[in-house]
Amino acid sequence: MSDLLDVRGLETQFKTREGIVHAVNGISFKVKEGETLGVVGESGCGKTVSMMSLLRLIPSPPGKVAAGEAYFDGKDLLKMDNEQLRHIRGSKISIVFQDPMTSFNPVLTIGKQTAEPFLIHNNVSQEEAKDRAIRYLELVGIPNAAERYNDYPHQFSGGMRQRVMIAMGLICEPRLLIGDEPTTALDVTIQAQIVELVKKLRDDLGMSIIWITHDLGIIAGMVDRVNVMYGGYIIETAPVKGLYSQPQHPYTIGLLGSLPRMDESVDRRLTSIDGLPPTLLEKPHYCPFEPRCVYAVERCRHENPPLMPVDGDEHFSACWVNPRTGKEHK
Amino acid sequence: MTQQEVILKVENLYKHFPIKKGIIFSKEVGRVHAVDGISFNIYDGETLGLVGESGCGKSTAGRTILQLHRPTSGSVWFQGEDLSKLRGEKLRIQRREMQMIFQDPYASLNPRMTVSQIISEPMEIHNLYAGQAQLRKARVAELLELVGLNPAFASRYPHEFSGGQRQRIGVARALALEPKLIVCDEPISALDVSIQAQVVNLLEDLQEELGLTYLFIAHDLSMVRHISDRVAVMYLGIIVELADRNALYKQPMHPYTKALLSAVPFPDPFVEETRKRIILEGDVPSPVNPPSGCRFRTRCSYAQPICTAEQPEFREVVSGHFVACHFAEQLQNDTPV
Ligand SMILES: Nc1ncnc2c1ncn2[C@@H]1O[C@H](COP(=O)(O)OP(=O)(O)O)[C@@H](O)[C@H]1O
Ligand SMILES: Nc1ncnc2c1ncn2[C@@H]1O[C@H](COP(=O)(O)OP(=O)(O)O)[C@@H](O)[C@H]1O
Ligand code: SF4
Ligand SMILES: [Mg+2]
Ligand SMILES: [Mg+2]
Repeated sequence: MSDLLDVRGLETQFKTREGIVHAVNGISFKVKEGETLGVVGESGCGKTVSMMSLLRLIPSPPGKVAAGEAYFDGKDLLKMDNEQLRHIRGSKISIVFQDPMTSFNPVLTIGKQTAEPFLIHNNVSQEEAKDRAIRYLELVGIPNAAERYNDYPHQFSGGMRQRVMIAMGLICEPRLLIGDEPTTALDVTIQAQIVELVKKLRDDLGMSIIWITHDLGIIAGMVDRVNVMYGGYIIETAPVKGLYSQPQHPYTIGLLGSLPRMDESVDRRLTSIDGLPPTLLEKPHYCPFEPRCVYAVERCRHENPPLMPVDGDEHFSACWVNPRTGKEHK
Repeated sequence: MTQQEVILKVENLYKHFPIKKGIIFSKEVGRVHAVDGISFNIYDGETLGLVGESGCGKSTAGRTILQLHRPTSGSVWFQGEDLSKLRGEKLRIQRREMQMIFQDPYASLNPRMTVSQIISEPMEIHNLYAGQAQLRKARVAELLELVGLNPAFASRYPHEFSGGQRQRIGVARALALEPKLIVCDEPISALDVSIQAQVVNLLEDLQEELGLTYLFIAHDLSMVRHISDRVAVMYLGIIVELADRNALYKQPMHPYTKALLSAVPFPDPFVEETRKRIILEGDVPSPVNPPSGCRFRTRCSYAQPICTAEQPEFREVVSGHFVACHFAEQLQNDTPV
């Protein structure tokens, strides 16, 4: 598989009253053709900002993409002119956000809004766009799509609106779909409906996906690889099975330990991670997880660890210590 | 759990919200059947989990039990008194022993009050330590320490704290009057995963230390399984299943519970690879006009004509395991999800 997206050294900052917020600190990652990448981490760790940076959707000021390259299909998104970028956004790369109500225009019908990206990016008639929109609304499981075409967003339930968002994201058959916590606000039964739907569409259409979430449960069954983010860094990246069965970074280990599992037979105390996530007001010269880490050694206080291979050539962790032995890596 | 003493008994509890139209002569045009006839016991020292999708009536049930909403009908027995019949001073005295922790640690604390004022407020309302400022201050410090916060924080304001810390302040306030029962309404839903575990561990420790009883409302089924002794599942205003937590998760007998459990993702790619899901079609119907007969029938794959005709009774199918489904016995023999 070749690389569809290749991000190198992406760095984004915000100027705020308290100082510079270092939201994304030089992250690099790739998404292969047809691959599904999960991005997990707690709120504020830089998941949304990193994706918005790629698509040059960061409000500036206060934000600024300070460094990096982001090759999509071989061309750097960060160096493209606006015309080229507009052509890619919404047609080759589309993004589905968490909150469908604020993403919709309340005074436009569901149908018009679904058809819009297709109309913009293709030289087609209103009729053709409408037919296609109805087809995609059917595809995502909106019952009586043709009749509901003229309904307004408030006439749809939360789960249905999220489906419509996905239809809008798919209507141009993008090569990369980015879902930014698209099911976070939904009930677990609706979440399951949507995850099944996205998996099926991915297999039918053969697109690549980046699925952002703070829920380690939801991505376990749908992604190929996982990036774990903390404080603006990717601190661990691995194939999904390796990450869950052999987590290497103390933060990932802590996160997995703090989740209760329905198939656990004995009662155990949840492992909590003490302390709080970093404020991002400085770019640390130490390990960003060190203040909360139970494995920390002297070196962690002085040197910020880069991602290093830990287990074969696909599993990387940014930690000076081997948490299985408690000793520093050689 | 060793004691089996009933601390709270809910009998046929209803809470309907009228929907009114018109400004001057407002007329009732319908009712939201938020809680529509629920009955169960809570035992002393246990944690009863209450789960269900949003809008199914969990918060309304919790609030109506505490009489923060007065019931449309039905009874709530607590320490030998029917709270639904009590008013004024008598109700206030009973309410001291029942507190609530809310979901949103941002909205539930008054931003203009210091932590000390927030935690003292219930004591003030109930005239505890009146005129004994030193004692009250000491009690605040004690409570802060109990929930794992530095007593030196007492003079700070809520905005100076993180979400998890604010939830601790909410817990300290709920503990101020030494309650027996605490209704926890989604106390961790707004918190990050690593912080959720901190708050859950705190609630478990406090239960052990103080002998508290919890009604723990949540939509996260794995967390409810972790913290509860027994679990009740709500759907559209009624309880469809209630059982010991192991029985409920291992051998659910209501089709809705089965579907709900099968929708919960496991944080384990090996398990997920082979898991079969029951995907429920469509949405929960409106609580203004709940379906006739069984309210789950519109989404239920087991439904038969009887399900439209007759509301299934909430009955004890095996000892301690209550189910509202005409076909509970058949489902019992199904393979577990
Ligand atoms: N417009 C903005 N101005 C200032 N700071 C911002 C802005 N947008 C995001 N940030 C900061 O960037 C950091 C990363 O945010 P984000 O990527 O949204 O996190 P998440 O992982 O929850 O998606 C946070 O600390 C956030 O406060
Ligand atoms: N004060 C109120 N007035 C009118 N309707 C309400 C009120 N509170 C809740 N409801 C309605 O009652 C139903 C149950 O709500 P709620 O108890 O909040 O559910 P849950 O906590 O399970 O999400 C919902 O349809 C909700 O809109
Ligand atoms: S009573 Fe009927 S409709 Fe209701 S859950 Fe049982 S089988 Fe389904
Ligand atoms: Mg985000
Ligand atoms: Mg609620």
